[in-house]
Amino acid sequence: MKFTRRDLLVWGAGAAAGLVVSPVPWKVLDDVSIWSQNWPWIPQPARGPVEVKQSFCTLCPNGCGLRVRMAGGWPVGVAGVSSHPISRGALCPLGFAAHQLNWHPRRLHAAQHHGEPSSLSEAQAAFAKACGEGSIVIIDGYPGRAASSVLKTFAEKQGGTYRVVTSSESRALAPYEAWIDAPSSSLGYDLENAQTVVSFGAPMLDGWGTPGRFTWLWAERAGGMTDPQLRLIQIDSSFSRTAARAWQWVPIRDGSESALASGLARVLLEQKLVPAHGPIPPIALSEVAAQTGLSADAIQDLARTFVSHLPVLAIAGDNDPAIAALNIVLGSVGARGGIVRRSKNAESYVAADADIPNARAVLIDGSVPWDFAPQTEAEVFRFAAWDGGPSQSDWLLPSPGFLEALTDVPTAPTLSVETYAVAPALVRPPSEVMSIEQFLSVAEPTLIPVDKIIHSRCEELFRKHSGTLYGQEKTPVAKIASVQKLEEEFSKGAVWVDEPSPSGSMRCELKEWPAATPASRVESWTTEWPIAVLPPLATKLYIESNLREAPERRNA
Amino acid sequence: MRRNLVVFLFGLVVALFVGWVAFPQALYVKKHQPLDFLHKTHAEKSGVADCSECHTIREDGTFAGLPPMEKCAGCHSDRIGESKAEATLVNDYIKTGHETPWLVYSQQPPNVWFSHAIHVKRAKLTCTECHAAYGESDQVRLYEVNRISGYSRDIWGHSISRLRRAPHEGMKMSDCEGCHAKHNVEVGCLGCHE
Repeated sequence: MKFTRRDLLVWGAGAAAGLVVSPVPWKVLDDVSIWSQNWPWIPQPARGPVEVKQSFCTLCPNGCGLRVRMAGGWPVGVAGVSSHPISRGALCPLGFAAHQLNWHPRRLHAAQHHGEPSSLSEAQAAFAKACGEGSIVIIDGYPGRAASSVLKTFAEKQGGTYRVVTSSESRALAPYEAWIDAPSSSLGYDLENAQTVVSFGAPMLDGWGTPGRFTWLWAERAGGMTDPQLRLIQIDSSFSRTAARAWQWVPIRDGSESALASGLARVLLEQKLVPAHGPIPPIALSEVAAQTGLSADAIQDLARTFVSHLPVLAIAGDNDPAIAALNIVLGSVGARGGIVRRSKNAESYVAADADIPNARAVLIDGSVPWDFAPQTEAEVFRFAAWDGGPSQSDWLLPSPGFLEALTDVPTAPTLSVETYAVAPALVRPPSEVMSIEQFLSVAEPTLIPVDKIIHSRCEELFRKHSGTLYGQEKTPVAKIASVQKLEEEFSKGAVWVDEPSPSGSMRCELKEWPAATPASRVESWTTEWPIAVLPPLATKLYIESNLREAPERRNA
Repeated sequence: MRRNLVVFLFGLVVALFVGWVAFPQALYVKKHQPLDFLHKTHAEKSGVADCSECHTIREDGTFAGLPPMEKCAGCHSDRIGESKAEATLVNDYIKTGHETPWLVYSQQPPNVWFSHAIHVKRAKLTCTECHAAYGESDQVRLYEVNRISGYSRDIWGHSISRLRRAPHEGMKMSDCEGCHAKHNVEVGCLGCHE
């Protein structure tokens, strides 16, 4: 019997039908998908003994407590620390995925000069030459650290300038400097004692401040309650995540926050809803209504709502003097549940301007957000652990990545009490990586290294005998036997929290109502991180799945 | 017409045979463990009755996994039998200080975190619910490794169709999800994928 071409086709059809009802296609598909996860060019953490270490996230100045799961000496997972007195186990999406950052394809492993491969020694030679030829400017994005002290000292020794780039949360406190005799870096929000929080576009429940601080307060004192102990009034131009969960959402036109704050202050003062006397804002209620899209009655009702549940605290999304002035009218500055002065020793910083004239060299620390691009003729040396995209820097220098350098964790910008912690270097950085302070120490060997500054800060805390150490147990500093013991506790992940400052110790006077400023857009948690550098976990879980509100969605 | 049907059925039968019989045989490579370790013998002779005496959970909650060589050396510092496995254990591993390169049936990808402590201590699962009565076995199972994925056959389960599996068979994500659904325990992505 001859096997024809038709037979072959029929046999093939039968075989195909048989294969479909066999496990071959499905099993091969499953196995190939697993195989594709293990291609040799996909970085894999080393296998090895598993251990858990305590540290802190230093990707932003909020310093959340981290429980780092290490395998073979490498971090393979992070989680929050529930015993951390501020973050209380919460982390932002970036923090949750931070262990992936050191393997990110955009991780910088070698120095670049105008986009071409170079070396650290060439960068050091160029920097030494620049130092000898003119003034330098050093830009820091995370002031208050021991490393910041090194940067500042170097700038002073060289006759240069030290500037800081701060977050929108820090900038929101800046206007008070004009009315009180204290730097804005010494101020914080006493959220724990506030009864009404009025947010002017600040994403209070979506990444504002230390993740966990306000969300826990809201969960404990407001979540699911019809008449909550803590009222959150969200004044927002979009139905944001925070607006959706707030006690009240007040929709206004985009950019009219400043006008609304002025209008509310006018109502409060004219109707004597507050005991304060102050300059009446020079804006008519009808004008406020026209700008915000609210009716005059709604604005008056809102003002009455504010004072019905005191203390009330207004929080701006960014630097907005009118919202700061509203807090003064409400009597919330220097008062319990308002703006408080947490420290008497805080340093005053000068904010960096993108326009930098008359400098020979500009040195930018890795903590400065990538979108800060100096407009200057000077030679720019930028330190970064990850390449955030097109850069105007002459030199791009690889700095330590996540948990690769010893650093201390000073008080987060919005806190009402002083805190201190130390994040140890848990991972050895790649060979070509150098921190900015190590770079400067080559040019100026007399600089005190970071570890010695941290040691002296620990000595200072020990001598102060104030506050409590939150480690495995809660221990008053006065009961700690020695500096060594204190440092040992810090190395195990303890957090020092000072006693709250007494309220009412801040004199604040408003002589004239501040001029209206154009409101800047308050972005979400990815603002200071270029999307290209986000770790895959944060991208997958929080952007693609829409679990968190990404900036582009907010703008949509 | 009849001829076409016969040829079609022939192709179908060949494909079914290949898919259900030959393919599973060809997909897995059988490997022997480096030593013939007998759980039953150890339980009987040493009086160890509890799995956790050798497979410990550390104080920090992490699972120590297979016991280290020092544990074996406690009894086997010198040969205590005449078997080939005994000679290999003492000469190749205990005297040289090298850990036994066991082939781990439950090895998961690096991005998976499974906490024995949570399942054993908090959920009160017994070892046999996931590992069957392997602790009472008197023979060493062959380790079958998938040629494509590189993982143990135990991850997929012995049944190629994944039908009619014993409760302890299979360690894929769907198995985790199924068990959690069965016990009405919610778990998010980050519960296992830190």
